[in-house]
Amino acid sequence: MDSAIQSAIEIGFPLSLLVFAYVVGSTIERRHYRRIRVRERQWQRVPAVTFRSTPASWQVSESGLVTGSVVISVDYFKRFLAGLRQFIGGRVKSYESMLDRARREAVLRLKADAMERGYNAVVGVRLETSRMANGRRNGQGIAGLEVLAYGTGLLLRQPPA
Amino acid sequence: MSFDPALPDDSVNVSRTHPVREALVLVAGIAGIGAGLFVAIALAVDLLVPRVPPQLESWLFDGSWLSVADGSREGEAADPRSAVVDDLLMRLSAHWPDHPYAFRAVVLEEDEPNAMAFPGGVIVVTSGLLDRVESENELAFVLGHELGHYQHRDHLRGLGRGLAFGLVMTALGWGGGGTARLFTFAGLLAGRGFERDQEAAADAFGLGLVDAEYGHVAGAADFFRRLPDPNDGVTERIASYLATHPVSAERIQALSRTAEEQGWSALGPVIPLATE
Repeated sequence: MDSAIQSAIEIGFPLSLLVFAYVVGSTIERRHYRRIRVRERQWQRVPAVTFRSTPASWQVSESGLVTGSVVISVDYFKRFLAGLRQFIGGRVKSYESMLDRARREAVLRLKADAMERGYNAVVGVRLETSRMANGRRNGQGIAGLEVLAYGTGLLLRQPPA
Repeated sequence: MSFDPALPDDSVNVSRTHPVREALVLVAGIAGIGAGLFVAIALAVDLLVPRVPPQLESWLFDGSWLSVADGSREGEAADPRSAVVDDLLMRLSAHWPDHPYAFRAVVLEEDEPNAMAFPGGVIVVTSGLLDRVESENELAFVLGHELGHYQHRDHLRGLGRGLAFGLVMTALGWGGGGTARLFTFAGLLAGRGFERDQEAAADAFGLGLVDAEYGHVAGAADFFRRLPDPNDGVTERIASYLATHPVSAERIQALSRTAEEQGWSALGPVIPLATE
């Protein structure tokens, strides 16, 4: 009987952890996407583009470095799915939405940084990703992912139309 | 140059598969692969086992690992009852003429009542089982049952299945952790079905030995009657699924039927166990 209870705990615990991680994780993700879409619409008119140089028609009065960075972590459920994927291969779909959110959030923070500094456009936008190592598992564990967006903020006399 | 601000595309970089669906498909698929591997190895073991000569088995498993199993380290006396168990085992195995094994009984300090047949002719009986056994006839049936496993070579099959299961789990990369337990549990449940028939065959063989020794089979199954019946309730059912020797009313009835068919008397004196 003891072994039955023990087994029930051994199976029930990771299983409820999975359910918990899924419910909480997907709620967080849904809310994050909602906030992302609101701000994307709000700042739609602030260009953040990848041009290396300013278009000739833009009249720049000021410029400077602007950055936006976000660190995002993966939940137990997503890691479980990715772990299964690791075995058979294929697209790690569970990480796609996490990275998508991180990229878009980083660009939004880049725009926010630019506006705070008094710029109204960003050119030469670049995105970089780095893995935040976790101290456990000899630094092989993943604590989170950073997405950094950086570029040159510009103050244009006339916003582009 | 005109600037035409567009909102990021929601649909390109993120797959639309629902995560729960993804989880179910992956778990089912991988479990299926694992089960297929396990069944394939188990079948291979079943084909191989009858071809392993008992002499080879005894030579491979000479019992040198026993010092670990029976806890008889230096300065620690073995269970005083092991001589009694050993003696009973010798008497019983005498009724299986020309058996190729050098049988030996070992008492393991463990509360859980259980008995196991190990390769090389070593039968391990837990002290918890000896504590609960009330007569020599009961113990004789338990030992006879384990001898039955040797006759059908189930102990090698069991070992092979265990190895196969370990192999599959390792191949899947789950040596430990919660997921491993989930799959181990499923594997255990699946494995129980395999074992039912083996247990019944070992029961019949063991009962035959008991009859040969005492001239009757009275009291042999009494030990089982005192264990929880899996049909009594939910907890008993779970316990019985997890036990290596599930005991049910059906099993005891099957024993009575076998005794009747073979003409083994169900009446006779029950000998108390001379352990105290």
